Amino acid sequence: MSPRPAILEVRDVSRSYFEDSREVKVLDVIRFEEWEGDFVCVVGPSGCGKSTLLKIIVGLDRPTSGEVLFEGRPMRADNPQVAMVFQSFALFPWLTVEQNVAVGLEARHEPADEAGALARKYIEAVGLDGFENAFPRELSGGMKQRVGIARALAVEPLLLCMDEPFYALDSLTAQTLKDEILQLWSNPDLPPKAVLMVTHSIEEAVYLADRIIVIAGRPGRMIAEVDIDLPRPRNRKEPEFYGWVDEIYSLIV
Amino acid sequence: MSNRNDVVGRTGAVADFRSIAKVSVGQIIGLVEAVDEVGGTADAATISQEVDMDLDHLGPILDAAELLGLVTVADGDIRITDLSRKLLSANLRERKTILRDITGRLPEFRLILDTARQAGRPLGRQEILDVIAARVGSHQAEDLFKALVYWGRYVELLRYDSESEQLTLRAPTK
Repeated sequence: MSPRPAILEVRDVSRSYFEDSREVKVLDVIRFEEWEGDFVCVVGPSGCGKSTLLKIIVGLDRPTSGEVLFEGRPMRADNPQVAMVFQSFALFPWLTVEQNVAVGLEARHEPADEAGALARKYIEAVGLDGFENAFPRELSGGMKQRVGIARALAVEPLLLCMDEPFYALDSLTAQTLKDEILQLWSNPDLPPKAVLMVTHSIEEAVYLADRIIVIAGRPGRMIAEVDIDLPRPRNRKEPEFYGWVDEIYSLIV
Repeated sequence: MSNRNDVVGRTGAVADFRSIAKVSVGQIIGLVEAVDEVGGTADAATISQEVDMDLDHLGPILDAAELLGLVTVADGDIRITDLSRKLLSANLRERKTILRDITGRLPEFRLILDTARQAGRPLGRQEILDVIAARVGSHQAEDLFKALVYWGRYVELLRYDSESEQLTLRAPTK
């Protein structure tokens, strides 16, 4: 039996844009892999190309050179095993919580009763039961993002991608949500098998990730790949925690 | 920071259900966690700095946490309670149960639950607003109504349909 391929392989991905026949390079030779059980954060200052990288990884943009493989095959934008959580929540204001969560399932032609059951399962998983028939306008920011997470989990993906998921939230709400995500992540009965999160916050990355891909510069280059082996729950006040934050900070500046 | 009234944005009066009208469960738990992380007690200014939130915004969250019995505030010092520690170590479902027990004891919440129970039928939004206005005055009724719906949904004791504007009692999932 051949060994199982990595869930995600980012192979020497570079991306350039062309303006007036001038090449503007935004990403330069990014290379890393993600295996089952990995919680990886890509961290870097704004403008380093990390959001572009995430778009390429999920198949919404193409690399100028290099490739992205999912379980050994080229990534496709319609891959049902990959789900996304957005910075801006991306909810439909005219749909209820349950309908918003079921949206991705309907797109995959799940029968309505199964879609409803899955939606309710993941609404409960993120603690939103009671809000099934609420509309996004009736929710706090944190609850809107919980809907975004429930929607992503409901398709039971192998890989969950998150693009600055806490960016629009106040720090207290964000912290609570981070802990809830780690709680979900520690439950082996729930998807996904791997997480890839993009953030500008080093502290956030050190709090959440098993491994951090540090990108900096213009074009964005991978300047480090760091394993964070601190036990969870992590305390942001402990010297070991701050040691990691300082170290990564010094890599970027 | 020797006096709790130094904390800008706090009502100063005894906190009631209105204090939780503008804050979310996630903010309250986040605050409790932040205090726990610095050792379980801290002055408001320190926490404000820690969580990068000015006192105007922190005040109502602090009031709400105090109302729910999750922190005590004395002489500007915030201290978490045993109930907080229980909440922090609980999973999502257990948190709901703990907060259900607490909110179920708040008078304004009881008022709505009792009114709905006695009516034995769905209540319209205006009916509830009238009941609330009789208690707290009409200018605050709307905020309180929103808070009751939010918390009632969260602890799964109330169901509200914002299209038909009908409120009903519900039994929690577990």
